[in-house]
Amino acid sequence: MKKTTVCVLIFVLAMALGFAQGSKETTTRPEVVKLQVWYAISGASGEQFLALAKAFDAARPDIELELTYSGSYADTATKVSASLLSGNAPDTAIMAAGQLYTGGRNDYSMENLVQDPDFNFNDIFKGMLEYGMFEGRVAAVPYGISSQVLYYNKDITDKAGLDLEKNPPATWAEFFQIAKTAMQKGNINNSSDFYGFDTSDGVWLFKSMLGQNGNAVVRKSGGKVGPVFQESSGVEVATFWKSLIDSKLMPAGQHNNAEKKFLAGNLAFIAASSNRVTRWQGNTGFKLGAIMMPGFKNRSIALGGNVGVILTEDGFKRDASWELLKYLLEEKNHTAFALSTGYLPVRKSAQNGPVVQQALAANPLYKVAFDQLNNAWAYYHFSEMGTMDAFFWYALDEIEKNVLTPQAALDKAAASLIKEIE
Amino acid sequence: MANKRKHTNILILLFLLVGSLAMIFPFVWMLLSSFKTVGDVYAYPPKWLPSSWNFSNYKKVFQMIPFAKYYFNSIFTSTAQTTLQLGLSVTTAYVLVVLTFPGKKFLNSLIRSTMFVPVIVTLIPLYLMVSKASLIDTYAGIILPQVFGAFTIFLLVSFFSSIPLVLFDSAKLDGCGYYRILSQVVIPNSKSAISTAMLFSFLGHWKSYTWPLIVTNKATYRTLPIGMKYLVQESSSEYQIMMAASVMAIFPVLIVYLFFEKQLVKSITLTGLKA
Repeated sequence: MKKTTVCVLIFVLAMALGFAQGSKETTTRPEVVKLQVWYAISGASGEQFLALAKAFDAARPDIELELTYSGSYADTATKVSASLLSGNAPDTAIMAAGQLYTGGRNDYSMENLVQDPDFNFNDIFKGMLEYGMFEGRVAAVPYGISSQVLYYNKDITDKAGLDLEKNPPATWAEFFQIAKTAMQKGNINNSSDFYGFDTSDGVWLFKSMLGQNGNAVVRKSGGKVGPVFQESSGVEVATFWKSLIDSKLMPAGQHNNAEKKFLAGNLAFIAASSNRVTRWQGNTGFKLGAIMMPGFKNRSIALGGNVGVILTEDGFKRDASWELLKYLLEEKNHTAFALSTGYLPVRKSAQNGPVVQQALAANPLYKVAFDQLNNAWAYYHFSEMGTMDAFFWYALDEIEKNVLTPQAALDKAAASLIKEIE
Repeated sequence: MANKRKHTNILILLFLLVGSLAMIFPFVWMLLSSFKTVGDVYAYPPKWLPSSWNFSNYKKVFQMIPFAKYYFNSIFTSTAQTTLQLGLSVTTAYVLVVLTFPGKKFLNSLIRSTMFVPVIVTLIPLYLMVSKASLIDTYAGIILPQVFGAFTIFLLVSFFSSIPLVLFDSAKLDGCGYYRILSQVVIPNSKSAISTAMLFSFLGHWKSYTWPLIVTNKATYRTLPIGMKYLVQESSSEYQIMMAASVMAIFPVLIVYLFFEKQLVKSITLTGLKA
């Protein structure tokens, strides 16, 4: 829901960007270019980001960073929107859906910047690059990117006699049977609140599932974006979703509690962000396992997370911002960030590098998320994206609570989105 | 008869004891959780006591944020805001109760209507005003936009209205002007209501997060709620660090509450206000 709030906020507030005043262009480069950098990364991830940013600051006497924690993704969206309107915007930001600000005002300067030979544009995973796009054009660069991974409680699967390392499910149909067995035989806590599967972010998983079933979520034709999720391939996914509820494998409308349930040992499987690897590994009261997400027609996986975006219109500051982003995305630096936070490396070269290989040997759970990278894709970013996510939430809720049939719920969501776009 | 009364008293005592335990439970849980590991926090069945007693979560709080600075800022801004808000609320409530002037009803409705506007709606216009006044990254920028409180005004209006009119008339006959009536009749007779307003106001400002976040960029001016948010990650599960910070953050609120407890209880009894 947080992502939805962020995107809705960004959309509504970005409408006012036409009034935004960019930083005034200076004609001569100051000896030291001062950069305002806002970041929506906190906790251990925030500390890692800060360490890298401070290292850059120390290494570049010609650039001075003023680093500001800007709150959660939703808070940052509000803060950036307000600051753009008053001309106090940061020069660069690490935030969710930042490309809605630059692409939204037709600022695609990032397209030229990523051509920098030092950046090695072709080394970035295709799906990740797409994650920084707005209407198909590069408007931001991927930074803290994650994908959903299927985590499981090994104590539960062991009790149920399931060996997921040897026989992981390849399809959702296979997974359905496995989760059912885990639920019937694996209730280690003898809890009355025990379930087979849930996800902490239903919309994210639903969009992944749509992609796996060959559905593009939205399509642009004739210069206009329109929904396609209500087509038969989308309805099949929604029908499967309903079957999880009907068979009582997944509780209806309790996604906010999914992680708590899982960590308490009352949930066998959870689809959650890959960055949980670093947070959960060694901190759960049970043996933690992870497998690749099952699929329908394919096993593609939708990406999520934050991007680096340059908001300043001052040429010198833009160049300095690019230097910072380039530094943060250097293979060595980004790999260090990824491994300590659980976000994914954005560079292909990192995947086979010694550091990653060493980390994989030490923590095999990383392997799952890394293996999924080649199947990763980013959904199409457009202005009404956040509103669409809100409609998805309503649709899933209506399906789960048996208010509407899968077809009717998706039709309603599609009609609402079309109205919104028009 | 004496036995029956004794039994009733024991029952009442037991009831109050259960009630007290229910009230104190979250605080005890917070204190215990501040020593736990992530595994302890999510253990099922829940673990009452931490697997080991150490101060690593507290240490982490100080490593991750300039806690002392944020603490000072929170105390300073909350105290300043509460003082200014009370000054404004007392005088406004007094005007609305005692004075008769054209447009009084409209002013009354206007103030009341601000209670129905969600904060998020006013956030950006307010930010633009503060920005134009060059108050971004200043204490004034945090404090001033938050000193108007319709709730405290109407809390005081309802209390001031209950002061017998004869007191005002007697004061006038004794030669008191509006200011003396306020300072020597209204305020001394409304201590409990003012204390309640003060407590509500302080609590509101102490936990205020969004506005200080929006209006500040430098750590020098940031307050505790922002620091506490930084301690956890987006959809994080590391509540033990947050709990350690919360244990330390709760002291000023406890002190304010303990200081005004008697007045607060009296005010609840007199105004029927539900705390």
